Amino acid sequence: MRRTSWREHAYHALLWLVALIFFAPILWIVLCSFKTGDQILAVPPKLIFTPTVANYAKLFSSRAFPRELFNSAVLSVASVLIAVAVSFLAAFSFSRFKPGGTNFLMFLLLSIRMLPGSAAILPVYLMYVAFGWKDTYAGMILFYAMFSIPFSVWILKGFIDGVSPRFDETGIINGASWLRIITRTILPQVMPGVIAASIFNFIFVWNEFLFNYIIGGLSTSNIPVALASGLYSNGGVDWTFISALTTVYIVPPILVVYFFQRYLLVGMTFGTVRGEV
Amino acid sequence: METGAPAALTPTRDAPAARHGLWDGFTRFLGRREVLPLLLLIPVLIFFIVWNLIPTLWLLGLGFYRFSLTSGRPPRFAGIYNYQTILNDAGIWFDLSRTFIFVFFAVALETIFGVALGLLFWNSHRLPGRRIALTMLFAPMVLTPVAAGTFWRLIYDPTFGVLNFMIRGLGFRSVDFLGDSHVAFGAVLAVDVWMWTPFMVLMTLAALASVPKAELEAAEIDRLAWHQRLRLIVLHHGKFILMLGILLRTIDAFKTMDLIYDMTYGGPGSTTQLVAMTLYRRAFEAFNMGSSSALAVILLLISIAFTATFIFVLHWRERREASP
Repeated sequence: MRRTSWREHAYHALLWLVALIFFAPILWIVLCSFKTGDQILAVPPKLIFTPTVANYAKLFSSRAFPRELFNSAVLSVASVLIAVAVSFLAAFSFSRFKPGGTNFLMFLLLSIRMLPGSAAILPVYLMYVAFGWKDTYAGMILFYAMFSIPFSVWILKGFIDGVSPRFDETGIINGASWLRIITRTILPQVMPGVIAASIFNFIFVWNEFLFNYIIGGLSTSNIPVALASGLYSNGGVDWTFISALTTVYIVPPILVVYFFQRYLLVGMTFGTVRGEV
Repeated sequence: METGAPAALTPTRDAPAARHGLWDGFTRFLGRREVLPLLLLIPVLIFFIVWNLIPTLWLLGLGFYRFSLTSGRPPRFAGIYNYQTILNDAGIWFDLSRTFIFVFFAVALETIFGVALGLLFWNSHRLPGRRIALTMLFAPMVLTPVAAGTFWRLIYDPTFGVLNFMIRGLGFRSVDFLGDSHVAFGAVLAVDVWMWTPFMVLMTLAALASVPKAELEAAEIDRLAWHQRLRLIVLHHGKFILMLGILLRTIDAFKTMDLIYDMTYGGPGSTTQLVAMTLYRRAFEAFNMGSSSALAVILLLISIAFTATFIFVLHWRERREASP
């Protein structure tokens, strides 16, 4: 057992300081959510105050908030489930059979994902208006699923490439159907990829604002849209509402980062980089 | 389901097919090498065609039409008129160059800070509460950009903001960060750097983790100077991951929109108007769909170029790793 020297203590203190600096603005949001409106705008800023939960009470008793939170949850969970299932099948096909045009299709999938959001949504908006799909759950979920598919295919193909085709061959020799091979032999081995793809796309849809704002509407708007459009009340910005709302909303992503830290790297680089951090 | 095991040793064609011939034949047909790959791809292809191919073709076509949603007139064919106007529009060129300046400085600063902090966190495995510290460090990445933008407005506020309180405490005059046309660009850039430096830290840590321990130990024994160690060993092994990180950040910074939408809405004037925002305003404020489509096509070409570069680096790495 090594003795921790003062140098190591100083080093650790420095690391914590860096982490705290990056977290400080978020901490400030959380602090503000327990203040009254006057305290938030007080100069000098109040660090010591009597916390109040009135903001949260107001938030949860408001009519729109539960609905928008529900929308956020439904849209992100449903679209991720669809996207990952669809991508898994496609990734298996790409990885094992390499049908003609695999590389080209993988490239196309990716380049659409790299397009600025307002360019990607423009034609979809016209299409949705023409077909009457605007502001429907199905329309939103399927669009988000489509947007989550490229990264999921990339992540999952990388993982399936890493599983030896001998597993498939063994399955075939033993008379298993392809469905059985895919679900019972391959899927368990690429679970890390499935998790990485899921959490990455979950965070994306959860935080997504522009698409929801444009092809959504009153009945399907999520919290980011509420944040951007419901800012003003009584002529000024209602900071108590915003800070409480933001605090509630950032809890899931931060929990995801805490519990799935190992998968963050794979998710954010869509499987092109793997390793321990 | 488990019927197959012994029977499979005999040629599959005879035995079980006799019982339920049609269904078995059907599943065997689906399992054929010529059919199965396509069958697995069908869902993705449906998504691809309905939500990608059709809209993209729509976009390409509309770029050649004069079409405004507010005029109520049907689209009118105009040839390359839209492209001509866009290429002659000084505003677009300003927005594009502003975007590239933004991307350059954001990515450069994030890379510098990210690599520095990544190196700092390299030996942090004995850090007490490391997981919580890293969660706090990575939190800005997963924060809703709209929420971040909104809240930074409060932090930047000239009268009520914390930042200006500190500035006044140091004896300076308060700065209207988002209202002053000289400062707004830098203020927005700073928020982007705050949000995405953690990503470069993550990439640097991954790059550092890919360096073989044995070579570092050899360097230790050979008493290599620290800068030689960095250059010859760390950079040699880590450069591809770092390059991928920089490229991903470049592509992502080029798309910046949500953050600006809520923080400045492109203003004051158009000092923080990045090209994604320009397109948004033309398409969804002015509803000028024809010329917006042409602009979107230009952005599509830029993103394809980015993606091609990314894939090139990816293949380069694979080739290098195949033949060290």
